[in-house]
Amino acid sequence: MKTVLAALAGSPADAPVLGAARSLGEMLAADVAAIHVEVKGADVRDLGDVPLRRVSGDVVEELAGAGLGEEVVALVLGARRLPADPRPLGATAEAVATRVAKPVLIVPPETQPTSIRRVLVPLEGTLESSHAPRHLFELAGDVAFEVVALHVLGTEAIPAFTDQPQHERPAWEREFLARYCPSGIGDVRLETRVGSAENIVPLVAEECGCDLIAMGWAQELAPGRAPVVRSALLQSGRPVLLVPVGAAARVPAGLGAGTAAG
Amino acid sequence: MTVAPRRRAPKATRRRLPSALDRRFEAVVFDWDGTAVTDRQADAGALRELVEELCALGLDLAVITGTHVGNVDGQLGARPAGPGRLHFLVNRGSEVFRADEQGLHLLYRREATAEENAALDRAAAATVGDLALRGLQAEIVSERLNRRKIDLIPDWVDPPKSEIDELLRAVEARLFDAGIGGLRAAVDLGVDSAREEGVSDPRVTSDAKHVEIGLTDKSDSARWILDHLWRRGIGPGLVLIAGDEFGPLGGLTGSDSFLLVEEGARATALSVGVEPTGVPSEVLALRGGPERFLQVLGDQRDRRRRGDVPEVDRDAAWTIQVQGFERRLERAHEALLTIADGRLGTRGAPLVGDGGTTPDVLFAGVYDGEGPAAELVKSPQWARLSAGGWAGTRRRTLDLHTGLLREDGPVTSLRFSSLARPGTVALRASGDPDRLPRSRRRSVGRRVTAAFRDRRRQNLFERIGAYDPDRDTAETALAAAETAGFDRLLADHREAWGGRWAGADVAIDGDDELQHAIRFALFHLMASVPDDGEAGVAARGLSGDAYRGHVFWDSDVFVLPFLAATHPQAARAMLEYRVRRLPAARAGAARLGRKGARFPWESAIDGNDVTPSAARLPTGELVPIRTGELEEHIVADVAWAAAQYIDWTGDDEFAAGPGRELIGETARYWASRVRYDKEGRAHIYGVIGPDEYHEPVDDNAFTNVIARWNLRRAAELDGSDEREREEWLAVADALVDGYDPVTGVYEQFAGFHRLEPIMIAEVAPRRPIAADVLLGWQRVRGAQVLKQADVLMLHHLLPEDVQSGSLLPNLEFYEPRTAHGSSLSPAVHAALFARARRFDEALVALSIAARMDLDDLTGSTAGGLHLATMGGVWQALAFGFAGVRPAGDRLVVDPRLPPQWHSLELALRFRGEPLRLRIDRRGVAIDSEALTLRRKDGIWEVVSP
Repeated sequence: MKTVLAALAGSPADAPVLGAARSLGEMLAADVAAIHVEVKGADVRDLGDVPLRRVSGDVVEELAGAGLGEEVVALVLGARRLPADPRPLGATAEAVATRVAKPVLIVPPETQPTSIRRVLVPLEGTLESSHAPRHLFELAGDVAFEVVALHVLGTEAIPAFTDQPQHERPAWEREFLARYCPSGIGDVRLETRVGSAENIVPLVAEECGCDLIAMGWAQELAPGRAPVVRSALLQSGRPVLLVPVGAAARVPAGLGAGTAAG
Repeated sequence: MTVAPRRRAPKATRRRLPSALDRRFEAVVFDWDGTAVTDRQADAGALRELVEELCALGLDLAVITGTHVGNVDGQLGARPAGPGRLHFLVNRGSEVFRADEQGLHLLYRREATAEENAALDRAAAATVGDLALRGLQAEIVSERLNRRKIDLIPDWVDPPKSEIDELLRAVEARLFDAGIGGLRAAVDLGVDSAREEGVSDPRVTSDAKHVEIGLTDKSDSARWILDHLWRRGIGPGLVLIAGDEFGPLGGLTGSDSFLLVEEGARATALSVGVEPTGVPSEVLALRGGPERFLQVLGDQRDRRRRGDVPEVDRDAAWTIQVQGFERRLERAHEALLTIADGRLGTRGAPLVGDGGTTPDVLFAGVYDGEGPAAELVKSPQWARLSAGGWAGTRRRTLDLHTGLLREDGPVTSLRFSSLARPGTVALRASGDPDRLPRSRRRSVGRRVTAAFRDRRRQNLFERIGAYDPDRDTAETALAAAETAGFDRLLADHREAWGGRWAGADVAIDGDDELQHAIRFALFHLMASVPDDGEAGVAARGLSGDAYRGHVFWDSDVFVLPFLAATHPQAARAMLEYRVRRLPAARAGAARLGRKGARFPWESAIDGNDVTPSAARLPTGELVPIRTGELEEHIVADVAWAAAQYIDWTGDDEFAAGPGRELIGETARYWASRVRYDKEGRAHIYGVIGPDEYHEPVDDNAFTNVIARWNLRRAAELDGSDEREREEWLAVADALVDGYDPVTGVYEQFAGFHRLEPIMIAEVAPRRPIAADVLLGWQRVRGAQVLKQADVLMLHHLLPEDVQSGSLLPNLEFYEPRTAHGSSLSPAVHAALFARARRFDEALVALSIAARMDLDDLTGSTAGGLHLATMGGVWQALAFGFAGVRPAGDRLVVDPRLPPQWHSLELALRFRGEPLRLRIDRRGVAIDSEALTLRRKDGIWEVVSP
């Protein structure tokens, strides 16, 4: 049994959190459940079709503990209570997300509930970042959704050659996906841009009409870290599924340090 | 029918053979007396049967002996049918014979000149005289070919080998009595006498009884046979050398130690002799005499009878090895490991693999789809035994010298795509029977038929297959291949590759890494083009499906020159591809209201343009692709390729026929393409030059100058219409080229100098770099930033058609403005830097080009290898560093040898004659039977004598 667990706070952010959890559950063919850590002055009403568990205690401890449940495939958290909050994550969400070694779906308060039909997956062109989409594909099983992979080339990654772009680009694209998105090759559309990823990821999410952004992360959100995660959370207005690279990084056999041919 | 009783083969399991012999060798080189037979009277019948069977199973054998051929052949009497060969290298290095079903054939004889013979006579007499002066009576007992034999102890008549210790003691006692310090001193006397009498390189040896003064010794035999085997595709790592006297004798090196030449350092050497003083460290001491040697041969026969998987020579300088399996890089590795025969290319995927591997098979010239969607058809796979998951390949080794791919792991295999029979493939494997297909025959495929015969016996599997678009042809080829059998197919394939390398190798002494990369490039160039029919050489050859198998100027300008200069029949096949598409090219010109023939920028099956009309850049922008519409220099590029072929080969028939058509029709196109201004100057408006960052441009210098060359070359053709000839010359003279005599710089196109002056060498974080991505294509269009050599391409292709002395100013002007964002650019610049003696820059550029695929510098090697870059690497070496260019009936050699290299050697073929050039600090040397080298006005020239 797979369960998507929505953490509800009894705040205006609950509606988008629950909506996003339902959408993610649909996408992953998982049940949806909710949890509320009771604190004074906040309450959550019964949710009808979604079972709600009320617990008491330290909010972060309780949510992190619940997220570790074996059946829980993803934890859904509200990013922050208010859209105007300048932080990418409120204190509770940050504390929980950085502790739970599982995919965490962060839902900005301004998110509109919608089915997840198209997912944006930023790929850095490293093995680590390639685990996020792989994990997603594994979780989703046979459920169909469209993946737009995005690779943003910084100055240091500008290709040396473009040769005949009408041919070079498809060849390069196919190999890039084979290397960094192997589980989805054939079903994934690759977009590339040049510039800074933190600026470009929210723009491409909008441009391509993506309903969700899924990305690997190192579970660190200290100042100066994870700039792309920050910008996705602050600027995209879309749920962001953060897949811890450590948790998902089950390196397949044979994948190791580069073996030079020659 | 009477069948002669078979002799019983020697028992193979008397004693276990050491692990160093636990493998299949491809050649055995051995001494005769004491190694193969106990003495000259011994019955060699069992050995004869063994030798004949081993040759039939594909093993090469060579006897090296000091005696004459009658002695050895008379005793052995073998007449093997092959495919393995039997050689006798006799008369102590002076003769080579080959024995086959037809008899004995002399292949080589070192003939002493009259002066040399006289010197040998004098040397022998002087040695005998010297010995006599010291009271030792010796006599000249025979005059053998190229040597004189002096008997030190005439009293001992024909002593058997078993008495060698006694003989040595007796001889040494005799020598000491005469005050001569032993056998070594007697040999030294012979050496001194020979040198005094004018023998420049005396070979003086002793078998204890005699001192022999000669011009050759067994080391010459060893070198000859190793070179011969190399040319047959058998590297020294696959050779077993056997003797019985490697250890010292009487202070002299053992007679068989002459077999241990440097060229054979990677061979396995063994002694079956008693070797009382031990053997050199590199020799395996087996003892046991001829009986033991027969056991070794019997073991080799058993391995072949069993169908053991053959080895490849694992010489690091000649192999591409991929250790293990790295999923991320796998597809690039598979491209590097591609084996091809000119018609059929097969990527080097593991025999057992999953969806992350791409064991694609491409058949040249067979396309599916129309227009830009046309692509090379993927043919049925033959090197994928099972898709059942992951089989744990441990190592894949591509032998560049022989085009063999060996895979080691739970399933061990050897596979090849036969260069001797293009379209025929063979595979032998051993391993877990569950992973091996069952025996069966089948023909499969839609556009290309693949006919297979699979045979499995326990844990061994063998597949022979043949591909052709025509089913009957494929099945007939399979039947022929089956009749030949795996071992003959293998031998023929090895020999075909050995021959190709002998005529095309480039050797650099001074940079092993570069040397390896060059051989990698030459291998794939040779593997990608067939010898006959037509050859539309795709941008990525037969190593991957990127670029859809479309044919660009890459083939005419970058790949063809290497073949024209080394293997002209392949270059001719490439030109045939263009010749057969002349009607389409004529139609292409007519559609634009022009005359002659307009070849398309991208071509596939029918010769119409198949260039896609749009592409997405890494910036995400969708940009129109106008090369099909505007990159018209391809028209003259085809003519240039035809001229290259004519200039290297002197093929008059082609020049007067299809070559004339190609050059004439393209000239006709240019004559109708130009527009005149009021001053009577001719212009070519609206084109794209090699620098594709700028489009469309007027009067692109490269296009105009190569069109001018095209017109003038056409005007030189015999049989041209006089009026048309005059018109071509007039157009050529009128064409503007943008040359500024004040600066010595050609303006790349009209208005180039007014563009934003960006020095990309200073702006870019590194080069090569895709400047259209770095700066954006709109900005690059308006800037003095080049994708690749454009004006400088003229200095590379047409050095005689640009202003004398203009290379340096143009190199200084354009190179810092060049991003090298085309994989074609580094090799061309390597050539030009070399011409300019800017060696450090030349070597950096050459290294980038040579490692383009080995290091996957484009990130797209997985889609196939950059064949044009590989051709460019050869051109950098030949045109740039060696400075080789045909000039009429001469081949000019004007070398630029960088200080980092000790020498540069190139194998070439000029006007039908093979030659090998060696360039070093002393100058240029030639090795050729038909051509000579001369120096005229400070320039080296290769000419017919």
